Amino acid sequence: MNINATTLEDGIRLLTFDRPESSANLFDTATMDELDHHLADIESDRSVRGAVFVSTKKSIFIAGVDLKRFHHSGLTTDDIRRIASVGQRVFNRLAALRVPTVAAIHGACLGGGYEMALACDWRVASDDKRTKIGLPETSIGLLPAWGGSTRLPRLIGLPRALAAILPGKRMAPKQAKRNGLVDQVVPREHLLRVATGKIAQGKPSRPGHWFWNNGLVAKLICLREKPKLLKKTGGHYPALPRTLDVMTSGISRSIDASLKLEADGIIALASSPVCGNLIRIFFLQERAKRLRAGKGSAMKNSDKKNAPAKWAAVIGAGVMGAGIAQWLSARGLDVVLRDIDPKRVGQGMATISKLYHVAVKRRILTKVEGQQGVDRIHPAHNEVPLGNTDIIIEAAVEKLDLKKKIFERLDELAGPETILATNTSALPISEIAQATRHPERVIGIHFFNPVHRMQLVEVVVGKATSPETLARSVQFVQKIGRLPVVVRDRPGFLVNRILMPYLSEASRLFADGAAIPSIDQAMLDFGMPMGPMRLLDEVGLDVGHHVATHLAAEFGDRMPSSGIMQSMLDAGQLGRKSGAGFYDYSAQSKPPVNGAAAMLATGRAAAGLSQEQLQDCMVLPMLNEAARCLEENVVADPEDVDLGMIMGTGFPPFRGGPLRHANAVGLAKIVESLERLAKSAGPQFEPCELLQSMAKAGREFYGDK
Amino acid sequence: MSRERLVIVDGVRTPFTKMGTSLARLNASELGRVAVNALLTKTGIDPGTIDEVIFGCVGQPIDSANVARVIALRAGVPRSVPAVTVSRNCASGCEAITQADQKLAAGCGELFVVGGVESMSQYPLLYRPSAAAKFNRLARAKSLGQKIGAALGFRPGDFSPLIGLKLGLSDPVCGLNMGQTAELIGRENGATRELQDAFALASHQKAAAAAARLADEICPVYLPPKYKSAVTADNGPRAKQSIEALAKLRPVFERGTGTVTAGNASQVSDGAVALLVAGETRAAQLSLEPLGTLAGYAYAGCEPSRMGLGPVYAMNKLEQLSGLGLNDADIIEINEAFAAQVLAVRACAESATFARDELKRDRPLGQVPEAKLNVNGGSIALGHPVGATGARLALTSLLELRRRKAKRALISLCIGGGQGAAMWMER
Repeated sequence: MNINATTLEDGIRLLTFDRPESSANLFDTATMDELDHHLADIESDRSVRGAVFVSTKKSIFIAGVDLKRFHHSGLTTDDIRRIASVGQRVFNRLAALRVPTVAAIHGACLGGGYEMALACDWRVASDDKRTKIGLPETSIGLLPAWGGSTRLPRLIGLPRALAAILPGKRMAPKQAKRNGLVDQVVPREHLLRVATGKIAQGKPSRPGHWFWNNGLVAKLICLREKPKLLKKTGGHYPALPRTLDVMTSGISRSIDASLKLEADGIIALASSPVCGNLIRIFFLQERAKRLRAGKGSAMKNSDKKNAPAKWAAVIGAGVMGAGIAQWLSARGLDVVLRDIDPKRVGQGMATISKLYHVAVKRRILTKVEGQQGVDRIHPAHNEVPLGNTDIIIEAAVEKLDLKKKIFERLDELAGPETILATNTSALPISEIAQATRHPERVIGIHFFNPVHRMQLVEVVVGKATSPETLARSVQFVQKIGRLPVVVRDRPGFLVNRILMPYLSEASRLFADGAAIPSIDQAMLDFGMPMGPMRLLDEVGLDVGHHVATHLAAEFGDRMPSSGIMQSMLDAGQLGRKSGAGFYDYSAQSKPPVNGAAAMLATGRAAAGLSQEQLQDCMVLPMLNEAARCLEENVVADPEDVDLGMIMGTGFPPFRGGPLRHANAVGLAKIVESLERLAKSAGPQFEPCELLQSMAKAGREFYGDK
Repeated sequence: MSRERLVIVDGVRTPFTKMGTSLARLNASELGRVAVNALLTKTGIDPGTIDEVIFGCVGQPIDSANVARVIALRAGVPRSVPAVTVSRNCASGCEAITQADQKLAAGCGELFVVGGVESMSQYPLLYRPSAAAKFNRLARAKSLGQKIGAALGFRPGDFSPLIGLKLGLSDPVCGLNMGQTAELIGRENGATRELQDAFALASHQKAAAAAARLADEICPVYLPPKYKSAVTADNGPRAKQSIEALAKLRPVFERGTGTVTAGNASQVSDGAVALLVAGETRAAQLSLEPLGTLAGYAYAGCEPSRMGLGPVYAMNKLEQLSGLGLNDADIIEINEAFAAQVLAVRACAESATFARDELKRDRPLGQVPEAKLNVNGGSIALGHPVGATGARLALTSLLELRRRKAKRALISLCIGGGQGAAMWMER
């Protein structure tokens, strides 16, 4: 029983969603059937004066459709059509009830859950932080097809409905009220009383939005918005234009005709590989959130060390250190921020307060929450005892000797249970750990820049790292709302290692005469969020060069550190921080190519390459290195590689990650292209053994799942 | 007398800065937060183990009733730990310490964060009661006519504010402000303008010379809203202060015959002090080297118009309680509310007549040797954020005892309203 029905004294039918043995309510076939029966019951029972929908779950009203049905592929077009039409029929039935209906929303009310609420006459929401309302279907490559694309524009007007559905916004209660998605926001304790009160008001009469919701205006909106959407997404996300089409042409038709457009839309979208990849990413994230690594001992709640972390320390108040400290403090931890003098600490404090300032300005945090966050930072420019901290994250300059010295001291200052973590992006954890008497408590916790935006964290296991430290670190990362990927202590770990051949190929192509904008455009068209030359500028060529030489030393000619970076450094062109790199940043808006840098490229070999050839040169080494990471057990599963690259570098989500992409291209074809490139462009393209053997055997990544 | 003593485990303070300067934009809760935050960081203790937070403050910010609670929560003390604000005017910082001692004795806790805070820059300007009544009438007016009538009731005088600082430094009982009480005891005890100025000069010179030592007790304050620049030192002491410059200043409180000037009175300042204190047993469990103990204390009342002599009465009472007199002190702090007042305290301590008539004892309190008195300068140079100073004297003197490898410090303050405070700090 997913839905329980009771009748309140005044003839109001209370339908309570309570999926057994789950913290969430979902719409699967059984739940939809139950709902249908309850509706039939209400239709036939003349004593029912109204219906109110509630959930018993702590943080979820109805989370939407059961995505597992879409995830485990094998859904045929007919299956999808049936899923769409059953939902549409049941919600139509709900909308057509003669009695007033109210959705009393507390917790996440998303996708199909909100589509049900839309079919109700009234929507009342709790003002709780856990209440989130919206139709996020486009973020998994679908569109709202249980009436959401049809009913929302009729409720709030086409422009506001588009603004809610296209970006797949999940709105806080206040925002939902402001946009008309709910009628009233009340404290949770009053939710039921207010909801039953709505029944007494009967069915509402609502404004018709005659201006926006007519066919002509809708057509104009579509014409105006579509090119913008295509430009913004590079045409890689078909759900967006399709949703726009459905909504703008459906608005001037009958409800039934519009619902038919929805159904046709979702059938077309659900069968596309993009949708499959986006849904897979959703599950990759869920997997990371639930990941249990190391020893189960971290599951015991008996002693202090297994309680959630309350105090942390961050060593080094640079951009990364301050970014980490800000994130931890925003998640409720008290954070000691240590650097060697008040000036550096002050710079870190300034970085932190600016991040909070922006978060408050963007209404991510309230003013009070922002102040509390800054208050939780404990600046220190002297050595202070750290025995009370649950975790220490070192984010000092990337110099091994320095880090070893720091860890030697941290070992003394820390408590017996404190995790000693380093945020190094390149240095060997195992070696740093040797500087301490407790190498089993040393681990890498590698955040990406900017910390508050990048969800991925590499948890790097050193030789001596204990399973318990690993388990606690993974839990810590999850607790602070980040996605952990467990990585072995190999040079470059996972993300930087796969990214490096890509960047070094990009700079080689540049040195060989390919134009900077062509290189970047090729990868933008591939779907990367930023071209490689621009990325190098943002990271800083000094940093890039440092990592490149480090990896080159480890992996030899597979990652040739091209001379061009050195020439750029010699010329003082460090990227954005020095005002110019491959681009010139002296002007404010779109930076033009830096002429001085372009002069440094002397080769001609890559000058005439087509966009596809450029993409091959840059993408294939990534795929090759990704396969190598599996081969060398840097990570355990292909899932880790794909999640890491998507969340850590913005590898195009619609391609599902480098290994999914490799599958899609075909491993045999990849091996063939790599071999061809190895002959023409250099030995760094040599395909790895795993790729070769898999190609030969006709196997695929994820093949055994 | 077997009861546990209160141990001062560690302490830290913000820089003390002149009213309207570096820390002017930080209100009392922010100043106190910085000090307690730094104390928790410096000591590394688990704040969940604190039994209570006790903070002294004279002019509590109007938006932070029980400012100690606001300070505690903002500084990272868990919400389960209670907090109380105490006020004994200029000795509020002492009161916080001695209340911890009393709670310890009463069995109401054994680990406390105590301290004192004052933002004199943020003392409010107030509407006069007559104006407030008119605002009230305006707010309650309903019809347009009533509103116009109420608005027309205002007079220009209604908009000249009462200055909170001025009111705070006046004694409503005797009708004198603090400066006038200093003038009174100064002239009764032969504290001439020249003596006062010379005393003030010495305070500046001692404080300026002590800057590096005082840095030991100071935590930087990163200034909101950007938190980038840090205030790291007191800005009161003037190394280049000259006697000529002091002599040029005009008396503030008494026309013609007055002697108390802005130069020989304590500076009006902002600042906060936080101390970690614990019973001896509890202190021994912390792996921290304590600064010293509170070995005894006394508060005594005296005539409000001669409040500046409070320390004499308090030291007398403390001697009776502890059996220790001025001679037993390795260093002595007499808070420099006014040079005239410290000079008067010294004179009375040495006076047999005063001892007989006022203290009812047969011999004077004793000498206050120059070499032991306010060795790192006093409030004339460092400033006197009223609620904080008492705690600063405890901290500064304990650190000085450690530097001198000495045993005992006697600290004392005069208290507006006619009281004195005296405490023995011991190592």
